[in-house]
Amino acid sequence: MYSMNGSEDEKLDALLRAYRDACPAPEPSPNFMPHLWQRIESRQSFTFSFRRMANAFVTAALVLSVALGAYMSLHHTNPTYYSQSYIEALADANALDNPEIVEPVHLDLSADQAR
Amino acid sequence: MLVDFDLIRRAQKGDSAAFNEIVLAYRKRILGTITRLIARTEDVEDVAQEVFLRLYFSLDQLRTAEVFEPWLYRLTVNAAYDYLRKQRRRQEYRMSDLSEQQVMLADALAGGKAEQDENYQKRIRESVQALLGGVSEADRILLMLKEVEGLSLKELEKVYKVNENALKVRLFRARQRVLKACGSVGKGRTPANAG
Repeated sequence: MYSMNGSEDEKLDALLRAYRDACPAPEPSPNFMPHLWQRIESRQSFTFSFRRMANAFVTAALVLSVALGAYMSLHHTNPTYYSQSYIEALADANALDNPEIVEPVHLDLSADQAR
Repeated sequence: MLVDFDLIRRAQKGDSAAFNEIVLAYRKRILGTITRLIARTEDVEDVAQEVFLRLYFSLDQLRTAEVFEPWLYRLTVNAAYDYLRKQRRRQEYRMSDLSEQQVMLADALAGGKAEQDENYQKRIRESVQALLGGVSEADRILLMLKEVEGLSLKELEKVYKVNENALKVRLFRARQRVLKACGSVGKGRTPANAG
């Protein structure tokens, strides 16, 4: 491997200084400005169409929310189903005072003994 | 400053003619900086246009016209950095990969006795590109801005938004990495005299 002798820093500095002279700024092509404006306009139109799409999406979501809200409120004014709460429905179905549940079980042992 | 503050303020307010004037004033300088940063002449215009495109869409974020140039340099550095990262075409160059002729060139340059012709300039470009190909994009850009573009530490502070001491350390480390890529670490230089 090559090792720079003497002051490595001086050589690096000299090389980098010479690099600047060896790389002059190129002349811009005649299409530089038209291409730049084309790119700006295409980015702007993309941003604009994206914004328009986003606005349309937000509007559609709002309309849908309002429509759903209206539908739900109308639906609640004429309840056909679920007029009771879950607890009430459960209480009706299995009332605690229902004799079938509350009454103690009577076993008829006399029949078994007779056999 | 190549343009006056009023022109920048007009461009910030959406004046296309003012923006056009700014681009015309700075494009040569930006093209030169990008040429030296990315070292691929065929893509220089594309990257420069990307810089001005970013400028156009971020000009409203510029708080004061006084910091316009560091801002533009920052955009240039970011665009060059993005380009270099995308390319990822750097080979693992080492000084040992350089030809004997290129090594002699580095010695001759240090002694100030190299001739100034096109062939010589081509060899300089190849040598520096090979040398910087061995370090990260960030180190390469920082060194270029300081040593080739000639930005002062104060200017670099505004571009990188870090303090002078941190910059000196980063520059010192970047130099060390380049020298390491040369084959041996430079001696006798400390962060204190890196600036």
